Amino acid sequence: MSTEHSPAHGDAHDDGAVHVHIASSRFYIGIFAALIALTFATVKVSYYDFGSANIVLAILIATMKASLVAAFFMHLRHDQLFNTLAFLGAFLFLGIFILLTSDDMNRRGQFDNSYGTRVFAPTGQVAPGGEPATSATDDAVEPGEGEGHGHGGGAKKE
Amino acid sequence: MANVSDTAHGGADADHAHAHPDFLQHHFDTPQQQFSASKLGMWVFIATEILMFGGLFCAYAIWRGQDPEIFDQAHHFLNKIMGASNTVVLLFSSLTAALAVRSAQVGKRNLTSVLLVVTILCAAGFLVIKYFEYSHKFHLGLLPGHCFGHPGFSGAIQNGQEVGSCLRVDATQPAGNPEWVHAIDESGHVQLLPPRANMFFGLYFIMTGLHGLHVIVGMSVLGWVLWKNIQGKFSPQYFTPVDLGALYWHLVDLVWIYLFPLLYLVGKPE
Repeated sequence: MSTEHSPAHGDAHDDGAVHVHIASSRFYIGIFAALIALTFATVKVSYYDFGSANIVLAILIATMKASLVAAFFMHLRHDQLFNTLAFLGAFLFLGIFILLTSDDMNRRGQFDNSYGTRVFAPTGQVAPGGEPATSATDDAVEPGEGEGHGHGGGAKKE
Repeated sequence: MANVSDTAHGGADADHAHAHPDFLQHHFDTPQQQFSASKLGMWVFIATEILMFGGLFCAYAIWRGQDPEIFDQAHHFLNKIMGASNTVVLLFSSLTAALAVRSAQVGKRNLTSVLLVVTILCAAGFLVIKYFEYSHKFHLGLLPGHCFGHPGFSGAIQNGQEVGSCLRVDATQPAGNPEWVHAIDESGHVQLLPPRANMFFGLYFIMTGLHGLHVIVGMSVLGWVLWKNIQGKFSPQYFTPVDLGALYWHLVDLVWIYLFPLLYLVGKPE
């Protein structure tokens, strides 16, 4: 019914006045009921141990709730598409931010006092961006590390 | 048709056939143009808000990736029931905010006022629940940074027994360093938290604190909208401030929708 007032049609007979989609109160209450149901679901799920799937489920349900709020309470569903793009653009850049930061954290290595330089915690190898290794450190690393890594360590020294 | 071409040259002829309503600022041609511009501005602002919280979510992601066990252990000190109640309170306030916009759109001024008041009261209710949660954490010494396990916050006494205090387990720690915290979690189990758990509570207090700040700002914004509504500034032709104020309030809700599961519901159940 009232969908006929959506922006696409509004342009055809533009009188300059504000035309918006007006949803019924009952519709908003329905959305609220769905949000409450999802809240109960996410709390209930947290009492079971699905391993690493727990966090995935939690974020999935949260995203469903957020989508309902954004699409209907915040009117994005019947709003100009550009507003949706501005909103989703924030998440795109947030994703880039988190990816680049975690990539940096994973490759930077941590300062290790016994090596006197930055090393990857899991392998003990010298990490890029760390301080240059002393010869004593290299000697200590190379025999232990053995075949494949020995070359990499040697190249670092030069 | 004539209207369409008029709109295109609207800027040129100020003495246009359209009535120029009070709320229409002179640099806009039509109410619709003004409305769209305001909405876009608000959405860009919301994007910046998401990015501001994004920094904290990024810190959360990195640190949880590095040390998931501590999240497992420390999150048992957050009360799921209180967190869930706060979620329901915020979702309900979002509903009343959305309904307030609707009643402004259809010109029911008094209903809009009532719904805005309910929204603001829910916001206050949220802060009250948050206050009880915070004070309990303070009491147990579950604090961020070097305040974690501070002896100044010890001594929860129930039935003559000390049920939750931060005991200085490792007395060899130099003064000022975070201490191990020995306390009873929300499901009644005694837990021993290592000093590095202070990072979890750091994230908890900063994330919920920044969110709480937004709740307070949202209450002020909605209060201003309420005041203008009582003065009769809004009509079905002009309800932009109600709409934008509600958008801000929904943003507060959106952030909490992610904060609640990420802080309260993570990790292994006991």
